[in-house]
Amino acid sequence: MKTPGTTSSLSVLPPPLDGEPLGLYVHVPFCGTTCDFCAFHQQTPKKGEVRQYLELLARETLLAPLERPVDTIFIGGGTPGLLAPAQIRELGKILGEAYGLPREEWTVEMTPASATPARLAAWKDIGVTRISMGAQSFQPHYLEKLGRMQPREKIFEAFSTARRAGFENINLDLMFALPGQSWEEWEADLREVVALGPEHVSTYCLTFEEDTTLWWKLSRGEIRRDEEREIEFYRETPQWLASEGYFRYEVSNYAREGFACVHNVNTWKMGEWVGLGPSASSQQGGWRGTNRSGLDAWGEDLEGGRRASADRFPVTSLTRALDRLVFGLRMAEGVEEKVLTEILRLAENPVWGSFWEKLQEEGLVGTRRGEGRRYHLSEEGFLLADRIGAEILAAGE
Amino acid sequence: MDLQHTRNFSIIAHVDHGKTTLSDRLLESTQTVATREMKAQLLDSMDLERERGITIKSHPVSMAYQSEAGPMYKLNLIDTPGHVDFSYEVSRSLAACEGALLLIDAAQGVEAQTVANAHLATSQNLTIIPVINKIDLPSADLDKCLRQLEDILAIPGEDAILASAKNGIGITEILEAVSARIPPPRWADYDGTRCLIFDSIYDSYQGVICYVRVFSGTIKPGDTTVLMSDGLKVEIKEVGVFTPARLKTKELTAGNVGYIVTNIKSVADIKLGDTLTHLQSPAKEMLPGYKEVRPMVFSGMYPLDTGDYEKLKAALGRLRLNDAALVYQQESSMALGFGFRCGFLGLLHMEVIQERIRREHGVDIILTYPSVIYRVETTRGETLMVDNPVNMPSANDIEDILEPTIIASIHIPTDGVGDVLALVMEKRGICEHTETLDDSRLMLTCRLPLNEILVDFFDRLKSITHGYGSMDYEVGEYQSADLVKMDILVNADPVDAFASIVHRQKAENKGRQLCERLAEIIPPQMFKIPIQAAIGGKIIARETVRALRKDVTAKCYGGDITRKRKLLEKQKEGKKRMKQVGNVSIPQEAFIQVLKTN
Repeated sequence: MKTPGTTSSLSVLPPPLDGEPLGLYVHVPFCGTTCDFCAFHQQTPKKGEVRQYLELLARETLLAPLERPVDTIFIGGGTPGLLAPAQIRELGKILGEAYGLPREEWTVEMTPASATPARLAAWKDIGVTRISMGAQSFQPHYLEKLGRMQPREKIFEAFSTARRAGFENINLDLMFALPGQSWEEWEADLREVVALGPEHVSTYCLTFEEDTTLWWKLSRGEIRRDEEREIEFYRETPQWLASEGYFRYEVSNYAREGFACVHNVNTWKMGEWVGLGPSASSQQGGWRGTNRSGLDAWGEDLEGGRRASADRFPVTSLTRALDRLVFGLRMAEGVEEKVLTEILRLAENPVWGSFWEKLQEEGLVGTRRGEGRRYHLSEEGFLLADRIGAEILAAGE
Repeated sequence: MDLQHTRNFSIIAHVDHGKTTLSDRLLESTQTVATREMKAQLLDSMDLERERGITIKSHPVSMAYQSEAGPMYKLNLIDTPGHVDFSYEVSRSLAACEGALLLIDAAQGVEAQTVANAHLATSQNLTIIPVINKIDLPSADLDKCLRQLEDILAIPGEDAILASAKNGIGITEILEAVSARIPPPRWADYDGTRCLIFDSIYDSYQGVICYVRVFSGTIKPGDTTVLMSDGLKVEIKEVGVFTPARLKTKELTAGNVGYIVTNIKSVADIKLGDTLTHLQSPAKEMLPGYKEVRPMVFSGMYPLDTGDYEKLKAALGRLRLNDAALVYQQESSMALGFGFRCGFLGLLHMEVIQERIRREHGVDIILTYPSVIYRVETTRGETLMVDNPVNMPSANDIEDILEPTIIASIHIPTDGVGDVLALVMEKRGICEHTETLDDSRLMLTCRLPLNEILVDFFDRLKSITHGYGSMDYEVGEYQSADLVKMDILVNADPVDAFASIVHRQKAENKGRQLCERLAEIIPPQMFKIPIQAAIGGKIIARETVRALRKDVTAKCYGGDITRKRKLLEKQKEGKKRMKQVGNVSIPQEAFIQVLKTN
């Protein structure tokens, strides 16, 4: 059986932390424009709204005190990069006063267009260690198709600006299987990204999420999906990037040795994370929940002393173990045997045992021995990660 | 009105030859119903009947007719069901009459049901008055019709009345012939009261109402009567006649047709063709011709939405109130959930019930493959009647399986004979007799297994003959056949809804078709899923469901794990709504599609 995880792909991971990891996610809901593929909560800022946002954020930190230091911070959006340097410093002050600096990693997402020297300097000053930039494509006609209003030169410029500002850990996002895209065109994108030499590359298969412009175009037949091509790109990309020193450690994520995103890896391992900002999710103290989206709804909850009030439910040991498996399997390192032992102990559904065996019999899940047995998805399994996840939940709960 | 001036008659015809239009015209002409009150096809009161142009329930009506010779006549018209599935019902309605109008479409000529109905009428010793209808159609061929009358039915052509019910031609001649040629009511002087029950309906206010022909004696409210087949006591609460609306009268006397309101709560207790007599002074013998009606075709009926089970149960209950021929009992299927095993008189009956449940009761349903009743002789010497493949004993325990047959009269254009014979052969039938009807039409008499005509025989006959073929059948004997139970296994588990009893020689072909169809319809699965057809333990066909190749979303960041989990849970919920068959989730749609296409 082909296994995606090789020894080298495992070495991209950070060494395990002592104790349970704790992450902080901050959602900045503002964007200059809406990209055609984006289904995340975001809005174009009106006058005074950033001010209001920062005030509410400060208020939320008061409602979410933490008794131990955070390991990682991830500021996502939206486009956090849209904040002005003064607002960035204000944000840094709010988070610093509440939680101090993270022990491991502090990432900020931004678009190339917002990566100005002044802003990058501000991020650097407040303690950010990692920049994640959405390049998506280097080819102007695809950028246009995705609704990205950025010239390709802007990507190069933003990247070197970030380097000059002193960032030594940069991620670039790329999208593949764009409508009409050939393997050669995709390979050209990969070559461009490798030439820039970031530490981390995320490659996202274009998905059509409901209520996005692309979804709309798809349902009107203006564009078509080609599943065979998606499969081909999914299969070929890991080898291509591995030969350039980028190893896949998750369905869509590649890194040079030691540069996996610590924050995300800890989340996938079902550590604790605290989400601040509208629509951010949290998993802490045995609960999972999501902040209401929209500044007003979020603010209204905070006024009432509430956080993460939407979709709130207790995370049982079984839920946590199943999620550990579902999201852990998306990583090349897979999941350690004790998670399976835990599920087997807790799952009341009698089909669980035979279901898990069947996944192995059919070659979708494989095992690897290192320090103890680990389970991981095969190449075929990676392509079915969602279905396998749904089946795991169905068989386990 | 005295017996000498009373006539009981019926109209018989092949479907679409104009029976209901003629009835309407007779009602108008005798001013039983004023023209302005006429709805088109007044007597077919059920929507479905009007739409399909077939009569399912009988609709009697009494008319007063001033004959040209002077005397007034009371003409009781008993409309009859017009389809082969209901031939016993037809025979009971005919038994209530002394004569029948045999209606023939001038353009179509004699067809299968014309012959079948004429034979039924002759066997009841009825006087037959042939009426050639639609004579004003450009395509009318009077010579052919008259020749066919003589050649096929041995009825003199000069007896025929030429008419167009639609345009009121020949109506007076018909009424004259009814009063002049049909004899007055028979057996009126028999010792004791005898009433023939030829139909019954359920009325939510009055309970069961029987349609009766009084042959002898008198019946009136307050009488205590008894059903002669099983001795059931029946209290008479009301009697009356049809105008065509029910009109209460003091009594019903010999020779007349009317209704009785009883104390009986379910039409199932009243057997069609039974004789009602007085408890105190009963008649010695029943009226001739009574038999028990037994369903011939069986099928599982399931609500599409499992939540509709109670609704379906109530719907069947209400239909049963009015339809003693419908039988059902609860059954459950792994694939389809809870439902009912239903027995029907025939395919049309099945279709009509199905439609009424959908339309009148608003329940969406799916029916499993229709089955007949097999007579299974076991190695232990028992005889089992099996109407559901699931109940078929294992092959080792079976000595012999016998299946019901039919004797079919198939009328076809001569040039289609080759294709029709091939169809009959394909359906394991044999052609026992061929008769030339005229220079362009033939009548084949064929023996066929009932099982083989259940699905597509009529449709294919129609299509081979470009719509000109027609068919009627009577029930034949049981005959031994090399039949086997074929199971369909999904991931090695048999799926009850797809089990069927087939002829051994046809099993492999049918098994392969079913497997292919299922493999095509079941959505791609994560695991490799075999679909197999098996007889006993032997696999005779195999397909594999397509493997799902890609189902992964690219992004799964910390902030949206909750979102992601929600999506997975949605997928999981979707899975729950599907039917679990041996670890495979099959959407119910797939079952339905396969059952529909077969």
